[in-house]
Amino acid sequence: MRILAALAVAVVARSATAQDTAVRPVTGADSALERRTREVASELRCPVCQGLSIADSPSDLALEMKGLVREQLAAGKSPEEIRAYFIGKYGEWVLLEPKAEGLNLLVYLLPVALVIGGGLFVVRYVRANSAERET
Amino acid sequence: MTRAIGASALYVSLAATVAALFLVTFGARRRKEAWLNAGYAATYLQFGLMTAATFAMIFGLVAHDFSIEYVAQVGSRATPLYYTVISLWGALEGSILFWGWVLALLTALVVFWNRSRAGNLIPYTTATMLGVGIFFQFLLVAPAFPFGAVFPVPPDGPGPNPLLQNHWLMGIHPPLLYLGYVGMTVPFAFAMGAMASGEVGDGSWIRLSRRWTLGAWAFLTAAIIAGMWWSYEVLGWGGYWAWDPVENASFMPWLTATAFLHSVMVQERRGLLKLWNLNLVVATFALTILGTFLTRSGVLSSVHAFTEGLIGYYFLVAIAITLLASFVLVAGNSERLVSFGKLEGVASRGTVFLFNNLLLTAFTFTVLVGTLFPLFAEAIRGEKVSVGEPFFNRMTIPICAALLFLMGVGPALPWKEADRATLRRKLLPPLVGAVAGLLVSVFAGARSPYAVMAFAFAAFAAVANIGEFVEGARARMRMRGESAVDALGNLLATNRRRYGGYVAHLGVVAVAVAITASSTFRAEHEATLKKGESMTVGGLQVRLEEVWGREEPQRSVIGTTVAILRDGREIARLDPRMNFYPTSQQPVPTPAVRSRPSGDIYMNLQAFAQDGTNATLRVIVEPLVPWIWAGGMIICLGALISIAPFRRQAPAVVTEPEPALASPAPVAAT
Repeated sequence: MRILAALAVAVVARSATAQDTAVRPVTGADSALERRTREVASELRCPVCQGLSIADSPSDLALEMKGLVREQLAAGKSPEEIRAYFIGKYGEWVLLEPKAEGLNLLVYLLPVALVIGGGLFVVRYVRANSAERET
Repeated sequence: MTRAIGASALYVSLAATVAALFLVTFGARRRKEAWLNAGYAATYLQFGLMTAATFAMIFGLVAHDFSIEYVAQVGSRATPLYYTVISLWGALEGSILFWGWVLALLTALVVFWNRSRAGNLIPYTTATMLGVGIFFQFLLVAPAFPFGAVFPVPPDGPGPNPLLQNHWLMGIHPPLLYLGYVGMTVPFAFAMGAMASGEVGDGSWIRLSRRWTLGAWAFLTAAIIAGMWWSYEVLGWGGYWAWDPVENASFMPWLTATAFLHSVMVQERRGLLKLWNLNLVVATFALTILGTFLTRSGVLSSVHAFTEGLIGYYFLVAIAITLLASFVLVAGNSERLVSFGKLEGVASRGTVFLFNNLLLTAFTFTVLVGTLFPLFAEAIRGEKVSVGEPFFNRMTIPICAALLFLMGVGPALPWKEADRATLRRKLLPPLVGAVAGLLVSVFAGARSPYAVMAFAFAAFAAVANIGEFVEGARARMRMRGESAVDALGNLLATNRRRYGGYVAHLGVVAVAVAITASSTFRAEHEATLKKGESMTVGGLQVRLEEVWGREEPQRSVIGTTVAILRDGREIARLDPRMNFYPTSQQPVPTPAVRSRPSGDIYMNLQAFAQDGTNATLRVIVEPLVPWIWAGGMIICLGALISIAPFRRQAPAVVTEPEPALASPAPVAAT
């Protein structure tokens, strides 16, 4: 216990977060809110991690942001409003999935174009190269 | 002293490798046997020297010789021996040294096993590998020189990155990855050697490199799975795949290599796709280098980025050289790369392989575009965007489902055009399996169409591949009167390549089902508990028993003891912890996992109160997760079965029906 106390002094910052989360304990009763929080949080990027969502990340900042999402949902805000709030704060970068508009359409359409184009090519290739055709 | 030995070994090795390259190339061109032999001797010599340099580094690490720059960077007296040894790959210079050593080893082995073969294919293959070796050894003497001197010699070092000394898997995942990555150099070298020697037309390079490709692929598979496992056990977020750039970097060459393993069968049997197969081999190699560039240059942030600025651009140059050389060689061989064969039918296995290749290529392309798009978007628009998990899941899950489907159709279809009766006999059981999979998953509570689709197609593939074993074994039992066990064993033994492939398919099914189940049916809950309080997750009661602290030589640990109860009876105790390393501000999460074949209970300590009265815990119940790791091992087992030397049984007296006879291709002994 003495060691724990000594260690704890060195990590006051973290324990402060623990107190914070202790103020708003999560109970089973609001599991619907929990589910919606998770849904929204899983699309927002944790700013201090390597591509993890704030729903997944165990970092302090992610826990804090997830708390914000929960609060705003509880206050009746829509997921769209919450996303806009975080975009305002961190930029579009905070969305783990880019909005399907403008330049971003490329990242969605290029793979689809390859599948369609490649598919047509393979169909033609199979027709042209099947032994049946020769007989 | 150690430093001097290591440094001079590197310099002499580079000289030996350059000499070997010239001797082998000109020995082959001018048909001078003596030059060739000297070149091969120099190849062995550079392997010996790289070994000396690598062992000098390991010795320096273990002896805490802080006069060596790299040791001063990653070593510390308090680090346990195991983590001291594996910090060989804990930072940039050491990992390039290890890479260079593995490459030197593989080059020596390629020479050792193939040097007696006539013709110029082997000399030029060796020359290609030596060329790649020169690139890495150049990095080692210039931008990534690990044996720099430190003066005055510090009494101690900071130790490895905390994330890299927190779990034993760190000793497994990186060497497997290097063996897989570097291993992909071998088929690439054979392809280049075949083109340079003009022997590309007969496809002998494919037979000679088949085991190498499969072996590298198996290592890469194992490395990816071990990396997932590490991420799961160390990062504390309860997942195993985040579509992090470096995960993508290891996955892309795996996808193209998988495509290659399938499409070569079309070339071997029908003489088609010669050019395509070369492209796949070159792409696989280029993607391994691209992956190293992406993760080492720091252009994309990643868990693996060592944030060393300029070295990445050398890799960019290497990719350019690779692509240019391949292009020139392909252009010079265009006449030899014309395919004369024909597919045997539209509804045939060959067609399925073509679509398999289309999907795997599309998969690779999707991952590549998604990984690079943030760079592109920032360059064009000046604003950062993220392309993360939701994007990759949306785009790739349909491809995965289609691949699972083809994985069932391919083995079921014969090479020859299938008639209606065959189609019905072969595809009806898998279809029944798919319907069963669909019903079971819906009944179990899966609602997402993606998940239901994945379960259905996984069941389809499982039934189809198991069906091949059943059908083959039955035929043997009927024709030869063998017992069921003998029949199955002999089936595997006589056609290892084919049935090894089916074993690997079953491993993929296991991984697919486990990933889908663990993400669909997971239950999670996070709460701050006082000592003695509990929360309920997925029907389990989780009670915080104790919060404790402990000093260890290299770190401080804050942990909790947590009891898990089912129906009021304790079934397990876990101790999720946080490890504090002196070099890191952030603690390293150390989740605790209780693993059973049915699934895992995963627990991470998120935060704790200073006075030890409460702790915030995140508990996740994830079904079937261990089957991801097991599935990975099954895939590797399948590859091993296929690699094992081909042993012909006494010639069959009785002609067997189609399935056992339709061996994909004759297998040449290498």
